Amino acid sequence: MMHNPRELIDGYLDDFLTAEQQVELSDWIRSDPSHAKAFAHASLLHDRMRNALAVRAELLDGPKTLDEPKTESSIRAIERRFPSMSVWSTAASVAVLCLGTGALWFGFGQSTASAAMRELNRIIVNNVASQDRTYAIVVEEVHAPAPRGNRPPTKESLRPPKAPLEGAVLHVRDSNRFVLMRKTIGGLPFITGSNGQQSWAINGKGPVKISEDVHHFDRDLPGHETSIPLANLHEGLEQLRQAYHVQLSSLGPEEYESQGGEMVRMLVAVKKPKERGPQRVEIAYESKSGRIMHMRFVQMPYGPDRLDLRLSLLNENELPADYFEHTSHHSPDRKVETEN
Amino acid sequence: MDENSQQAIRYWTLAQPVISGYVTSVVRDFRDRDDVLQTIAVAVFESFTSYDPSRSFVGWAMGIARNQMGTYLRERRRNRLVFDGETVELLAKAFEQIEPEETRSLDYLNDCLDGLEGRARQLCELRYENDLKPAAIASLLSMTPNTVAKSLQRIREQLRNCIERRVALEGARP
Repeated sequence: MMHNPRELIDGYLDDFLTAEQQVELSDWIRSDPSHAKAFAHASLLHDRMRNALAVRAELLDGPKTLDEPKTESSIRAIERRFPSMSVWSTAASVAVLCLGTGALWFGFGQSTASAAMRELNRIIVNNVASQDRTYAIVVEEVHAPAPRGNRPPTKESLRPPKAPLEGAVLHVRDSNRFVLMRKTIGGLPFITGSNGQQSWAINGKGPVKISEDVHHFDRDLPGHETSIPLANLHEGLEQLRQAYHVQLSSLGPEEYESQGGEMVRMLVAVKKPKERGPQRVEIAYESKSGRIMHMRFVQMPYGPDRLDLRLSLLNENELPADYFEHTSHHSPDRKVETEN
Repeated sequence: MDENSQQAIRYWTLAQPVISGYVTSVVRDFRDRDDVLQTIAVAVFESFTSYDPSRSFVGWAMGIARNQMGTYLRERRRNRLVFDGETVELLAKAFEQIEPEETRSLDYLNDCLDGLEGRARQLCELRYENDLKPAAIASLLSMTPNTVAKSLQRIREQLRNCIERRVALEGARP
């Protein structure tokens, strides 16, 4: 079937064509010089859009540094070509060159807010992938609430204490399935989870509770008060985009970790004034894949407390297909109650 | 900076939109495109003394760009969807024939981009600032990849019309 050439061109520019459509487009371009010209015009606009929008982002984010090896190699190459140039004139030439190309150091290792936001987007996309991941949770510090004095108790302060998070294990699959395994203060297992359609909670004793509302048992999930639920990393990362200043860490190369041959980079998000949530979130991720290795939440609200928490990737072993169903975590004879 | 360097920069600044468009037409990943374009720019500067000013600078620079693109395509032809050599060559010729006023008309793009709002603006930022493809954008915005691709197509059409209107308005001025 012959597709509309305009659709084929746009699909090509967005890398959205099938192999057959790509061949169809190629045939169309070759069939008439005017077709090649029409394609060239569409590419020019696409190219200029990239330049214009990338430049805008860079201008909004402030000046850049010339600290990346590729950029240095370009400077050296121009210095070889024009040995009479001073350092400053060379830098000026490279700046002009890059302004001209629209590259503007994009993707060359700058630690600007927009680069950080691009990295965050990449992490979010990677996190949506339906690969199973298991994280260990460690509570690094508990910041006790300030004494209430004569202030009246709040609804939250009157609730029973939440299950401790120290030693908890979190299993996640795509953006909305999770199992969070903890122990109550009394040492009994307490498991909450969701299969994406239903949420559920299994206490050490009593009936298993299920709900058609996937957020019904969120009260027991760390971070739910501030829209950064640990059990839904995707939602939490989305919230970072809105309510946090995100920056690539300025750690030197010697502080990068290498795990399994992969370089690990750090993204730091600091809460904007008047927004809710942990004061600071640190995300250590594999530079190439965007896979999250560690997340650290500083002063994350959890009931009346503020916790410093660390999530560390334990493994990416594939879990059974029904692992996110409550039935996989209790004996079949347990009573099940539905809550709305 | 000596006269030769200044001349090289002046020529490059004029030729860059066409060379950049040509590279983007074949190298769809923006980061790869930036790398290829940077390599071409360096090669142009390195061999500038061999440029004969009686010939078209765009044609000369396009020759360098073709060589660099050839290297890039040979490395990727086996594992990526790319055009064959004949199509790439036809495109190079088409770009060479683009008139300066055609690239200048795109100077209106910034004004037209200012007119984008809401979801259209968000889609453009994700696609062009963040270098995300429709599938990735779809997962971020809870849309289908097909809807994202169609929306991007419409936005580009809208921008094209806006540019044409502004060119016509400019032409109508005394």
